[in-house]
Amino acid sequence: MMWKLVVYKEWLKIRWFLVGYTLLGILGVGYLLLTVKHDFAFSGGKNIWNSILFLGNQFFSPLKYVSLAGGLIIAIAQYFPETVNKRIKLSFHLPLGENKVLLMMHTFGAVSLLLSFVIIFGLFSGFCLIYFPVQMVIYSLITILPWVLAGFSAYFLGALIILEPHWMFRFYYSLVGGFFLTIFFVPAVTSAYSPANSGLFVLTAILSIALLFSAYRFRKGEM
Amino acid sequence: MEKVSRYLLVFIAILTLAIILPRLYWMAFEKPVRKPFILYSCINDDFMIHRISEKTWEDTKGQQYTREEYEQKLPMMFLKQLLASGTMPDSVNGVKLDMRDIAREKSFFRLKANEIDAPAPALYPLFESQSGRAMLDLPDDFFRITWRIEFIDAATNMVLEEKSQLFSATLFQYGFSFPAKTISGLATPRKSVDEGYLIVDAKDQLFHLKMIKGKPYVKTINVPEGLKFKYISCVDFKNKDFYAYLFSDKNEIYILTQGDYELIKWPVEGFDRSNSDLKIYGDLFNFTVVIESENQFKVIALDLDYQVVDTYTETRKLKEEQTEGKIFASLFPAQVSMTSDSSKFIRFYVSISKGLNWIIFNLLLMAFHFTLLFKRKVKLKNHLADLGIVAVSGIFGLIAIWIFPNKFFD
Amino acid sequence: MNNVIECKNLTHYYGKKKVFENLNFQVSKGSILGLLGKNGTGKTTTINILNGFLQPRSGECLIFGENTQHLSPQTKSRIGFLIEGHIQYSFMNIRQIERFYSGFYPNWKPAPFWELMSKLDVPHTQKISTMSCGQRSQVALGLILAQDPDLLILDDFSMGLDPGYRRLFIDYLREYAKAENKTVFTTSHIVQDMERLIDDLLIIDCKGVLAQTSVTQFMDSFNRFDFELENDKADMKNASFVVNLDKMKNKVELYTYSSESIVKKYLDDNNIKASNFAQVKMVLEDAFIGLTGKY
Repeated sequence: MMWKLVVYKEWLKIRWFLVGYTLLGILGVGYLLLTVKHDFAFSGGKNIWNSILFLGNQFFSPLKYVSLAGGLIIAIAQYFPETVNKRIKLSFHLPLGENKVLLMMHTFGAVSLLLSFVIIFGLFSGFCLIYFPVQMVIYSLITILPWVLAGFSAYFLGALIILEPHWMFRFYYSLVGGFFLTIFFVPAVTSAYSPANSGLFVLTAILSIALLFSAYRFRKGEM
Repeated sequence: MEKVSRYLLVFIAILTLAIILPRLYWMAFEKPVRKPFILYSCINDDFMIHRISEKTWEDTKGQQYTREEYEQKLPMMFLKQLLASGTMPDSVNGVKLDMRDIAREKSFFRLKANEIDAPAPALYPLFESQSGRAMLDLPDDFFRITWRIEFIDAATNMVLEEKSQLFSATLFQYGFSFPAKTISGLATPRKSVDEGYLIVDAKDQLFHLKMIKGKPYVKTINVPEGLKFKYISCVDFKNKDFYAYLFSDKNEIYILTQGDYELIKWPVEGFDRSNSDLKIYGDLFNFTVVIESENQFKVIALDLDYQVVDTYTETRKLKEEQTEGKIFASLFPAQVSMTSDSSKFIRFYVSISKGLNWIIFNLLLMAFHFTLLFKRKVKLKNHLADLGIVAVSGIFGLIAIWIFPNKFFD
Repeated sequence: MNNVIECKNLTHYYGKKKVFENLNFQVSKGSILGLLGKNGTGKTTTINILNGFLQPRSGECLIFGENTQHLSPQTKSRIGFLIEGHIQYSFMNIRQIERFYSGFYPNWKPAPFWELMSKLDVPHTQKISTMSCGQRSQVALGLILAQDPDLLILDDFSMGLDPGYRRLFIDYLREYAKAENKTVFTTSHIVQDMERLIDDLLIIDCKGVLAQTSVTQFMDSFNRFDFELENDKADMKNASFVVNLDKMKNKVELYTYSSESIVKKYLDDNNIKASNFAQVKMVLEDAFIGLTGKY
């Protein structure tokens, strides 16, 4: 039952950030859908559809960096307090394996992020289904998926960078991480990412244990 | 576990560097490709070549022309200029020139490889072909073809059941196998008339679908046995000679004539829809087909019976055959890009460098890393994997293992 | 196996700078040991190695027979660890932090924690981050005591505490450790505090261990003699019994493990004339400075 306690601690750290972020995300989606509703009323549904289908209108593009921001916010909220006064030592001293504690913390963060994304993008999809047929919504989601994966990657990379004890290496990781994240945001037509999404998913999954590396360096006394 | 996380991070870094470093390299060293502009002259019966950056105008025999002379050899293309300067001939090859004829027969078609390998739209508008109006109106509903054809009203986002059933039943009667493989048409109201869609069904049969006065118009088009169309590009040319250019799975180019639905194969070779850009200029006398691939520029002139009159080919060095490309292939083992000139899809486009020079450079880098390790007096046993990584991935791997150092792992 | 902590041949460098070489010491069960040393002699380094937050260049430390680089969860639950500066999860309040830690330790004894908290006079819903340094130290101590570990490792417990809290902390800790037969390994930069707390001491400098013994034995055997030389050029640095010698003009402070008679004999034998010869009574801090030097 120790994972519940770890979850409790992590929850205390990120709850307001998570709730605040999710609320902002919901407000953002709400605003986006208001503009869609407004455009439907003023331009007519067929013109909106036509512009999305044939004129490259990506009405959901304001969501582009929403999940990236979410990943970074949660990473900072969760791991920055651990680095203040090297507080992470407390977690490592808990009667659990060091990697186990980290993975519990990380899983909780990732699941929180997932829930937040599910709420934000679920709401988006739900409202879209009112205005657009299923295919158009799926095409939008295929386009949005790499952005969402970038959110998780940013969270994983954020943890890696924040927990790294050596500032120089933090800089190197940020450089690699920053360039890596650009592959999720290549400008492209709607649903162009469909062949790449599975690969991006695998890469994101690969990054999920990245923090073990910098945490290990911390535990071995890298300064 | 920490060890695994390190190797995974090294992998991520190698991938990232394999995207970024080559991109930076080419940004610094790539030279622009100078493409000639080549057309077939109905006057010379030869190709006229305009080299834009060199400002030269010549024919295939090397005869040089002034700009004015050059334009006079291509009256169909430079009609306005010749009219303005009063040098437009009255007749060509014994044919008296009529401005309306020239305008009617003039056509231009362009297809890039990345338009073929691109996401298809989710829905299509089916226009009313005989509305009696001068201008086309965007319809209120859009269709998709799944297990049937469905029309969805954009205002309500509801399926129009009656219309869907009517069109589905008609298509079914004509032997259409749902769903569709490709749906091709001009999905824009900005065209002279509407000719609906050419649809390839699940069994590679070709159909023509239009809506006339709210009712379906379907025509099954006779396709020779074994012929499969991978891509169809509908056209809206003034002369109404044909509906579309069609591209088969064997990279043949067909046209589909209007009215009698005859499929005519053009004797054009050298087109590869996965990496060629295609331009077709039509005029009163000829079709000039320009096929451009990375290292070749092929121009084929057809007469109006679609028979080859003349061909001209120019090759140029591939990027990898140029000095910069050779240096690139020595420094970098591979290049990864998320985008490609020949596709609109985002993928991990991996190209391994040609030749073996990069292996030599990789081994040099490995030796360099080995020397550093030797100087630091570390246990080499713990660094064998790193050395292997450098041997395989070269500069990318070396930077990656420096960024994610193999420290404390013993 | 009577030794709770056993460190063998510890050697560590930061880059090229040597911290210590071949450091050996052990801490036996039930003892309260203070690790003393001047700044930069590797007190925190030692603590970090003990807690598995630093991999020494060579050598190893064992706690309850386990290498501290790979402590098992069971062993970690037997160690109470106070981080320098009484660091705790400051985003929690008293109630939350008790709730958090109690779940990890099967032997959790909340009584000492709440007893200390009742002395604090802060609401249980107050965040630790808003507390004073002294209050935080009590929270950190209370948590360790409630954990009921067999070994307590305290890194510079006096840091940031005013004298009252320091006294409270020391007295409470000592009483608890003695009553429950706990082993304590501690450092503090205020040597004075240690005197009230520790039984044994371990004094290190960059050359290695200067002393490992009980405080009483150390204070009994380590002497300071003051005298005035007639000839202030007289040199006695090379005398074998001299541990440290502080000379201001002709006034000499001599630190030695030898007795008064041996020193006097040396002076006589070497024909060094000295007056006002007296043994000076020392507290631990004096002795520490005497042993390690002022600089």
